[in-house]
Amino acid sequence: MKKLALTLAAAGTLLAGLAHADTLSDVKERGVLKCGVNQGLDGFASKDDKGQWTGFDVDMCKAVAAAIFDDASKVDYVPLSAEERFPALQKGTIDLLSRNSTWTLGREAGLDLMFAAVSYYDGQGFMVPVSKNVMSALELDGSKVCIQSGTTSVLNGQDYFKTNNMAMELTQLSSLDELVKAYNEGKCDVLTTDVSQLYALRLKLDKPADYIVLPDVISKEPLGPVVRQGDDRWLNIVKWSFYAMLNGEELGVSQATLDEALKSEKPDVKRFVGTDGTYGEQLGLTKDWAVRIVKNVGNYGEVFERNIGANSKLGIPRGINQLWSAGGIQYAPPIR
Amino acid sequence: MRAKFVGAALVALAALSVSAAEAQMRPAASVGSQIVDVPEQPGYVPSAAEEQLDPAYRRQPVYFRTNEPPGTIVIHTSERFLYLVQGDNRAIRYGIGVGRDGFQWSGLQKITRKAEWPDWRPPAEMIERQPYLPRFMAGGPGNPLGAAALYLGGTVYRIHGTNMPQTIGMAISSGCFRLVNGDVQDLYNRVPVGTKVVIRQAPTL
Repeated sequence: MKKLALTLAAAGTLLAGLAHADTLSDVKERGVLKCGVNQGLDGFASKDDKGQWTGFDVDMCKAVAAAIFDDASKVDYVPLSAEERFPALQKGTIDLLSRNSTWTLGREAGLDLMFAAVSYYDGQGFMVPVSKNVMSALELDGSKVCIQSGTTSVLNGQDYFKTNNMAMELTQLSSLDELVKAYNEGKCDVLTTDVSQLYALRLKLDKPADYIVLPDVISKEPLGPVVRQGDDRWLNIVKWSFYAMLNGEELGVSQATLDEALKSEKPDVKRFVGTDGTYGEQLGLTKDWAVRIVKNVGNYGEVFERNIGANSKLGIPRGINQLWSAGGIQYAPPIR
Repeated sequence: MRAKFVGAALVALAALSVSAAEAQMRPAASVGSQIVDVPEQPGYVPSAAEEQLDPAYRRQPVYFRTNEPPGTIVIHTSERFLYLVQGDNRAIRYGIGVGRDGFQWSGLQKITRKAEWPDWRPPAEMIERQPYLPRFMAGGPGNPLGAAALYLGGTVYRIHGTNMPQTIGMAISSGCFRLVNGDVQDLYNRVPVGTKVVIRQAPTL
């Protein structure tokens, strides 16, 4: 009987804990956001010799910190391996996971997590030498294709060639370094893996400019920030922090134009900067929440270009991650 | 016929003429801006190395989702890119130089005429400002209009080549769109007269 009562009490505490999950208050009280990131991935998350974190995923952490504190430095970065990342979120070691993680049903339903948005649409693509003068993956019939063994890319690649009635000569290599070596030595015409990784591998080739990544994407790898289930307000804050960056770009609100935007008479710009409405307050934030994000971090286009864009080291074109209004599929619900 | 052609060329150059005065560089959409001065250099023939663009601006196939039918040209001035729609969510993308602030425009046009290696006749106002410019320059390498010109509707604007490949990616012209000669030739060969051209601008606040 006593035992049962204790169990009930414990269950009650757990339920109460869930019901009152209030990550925003915890973060405010602590004065810092705990954000899980990759241990080191060029362009997405890396730590320099002065201990400063930069990258596309890091900027997502900074955007949430900026929305809450108006200070992008109020982040404790927790570098996590692929195995550690979801348990860290479940255990409450971190408030937010921003670590190139693919949104799948299994991860949301099976691990009690919620993906807040798709910050980067990745997917399997193809790299070919410019000299081949290929414009589409459908022109790759008879190619020698190199793929890392033991990855989903092998099956995807084989399926794609088979479905499109194209012959391929497959070479499997056990590591990324061997893949690069084989490609440098001309042992294959085509390299296939996720597009973001193709751009990272291209940097390791002897003559990176001699290769292009084709626009074809044959698998879905939507990457985005993740939170625990059970705290809807926190989910909304992360979600809308990202959408503020996207809406900022669509409206033309950037770090360079922020002062002008604050004086704008356009209704959608006024709602964005908080000169009209109480949208920030409704989120549990301040009127100027979106302004804080753009001021401290930038809009989506600025974040993309700075970390991974065409003029960055990685040199990834916007492609599918361009705004929906400019040829891509990045689309944010409106602030109204 | 000849007179008509010269008339058109004169109008074309009115658009090109002011480009020397001021130049503004903006490498990509909303990534700050920097003022640079790039005067026209008629007669200058760029080397093969100079014609080789920065990888970001080289002609390449890209993902491009649009409701415009294949064959349409879509120009995003703030991105410094011209897209030739191919269908199936793809396009061929070319790096371009565009009009500087105050000379950027948007709208819908059709290609009304095409010409290879057009002649150059700097208009009077340009001669006044830069008296050292030639009064006439036959089409060919070194001509600021480059390898080809595509005439946009009844406007003074054109899509043309250039003898200054380093200006690709910048905002320096008076509203024309310039491509390196290899690219403008490629585009010339791909699009017929009557091609629809959509010009898009960055949003204003």
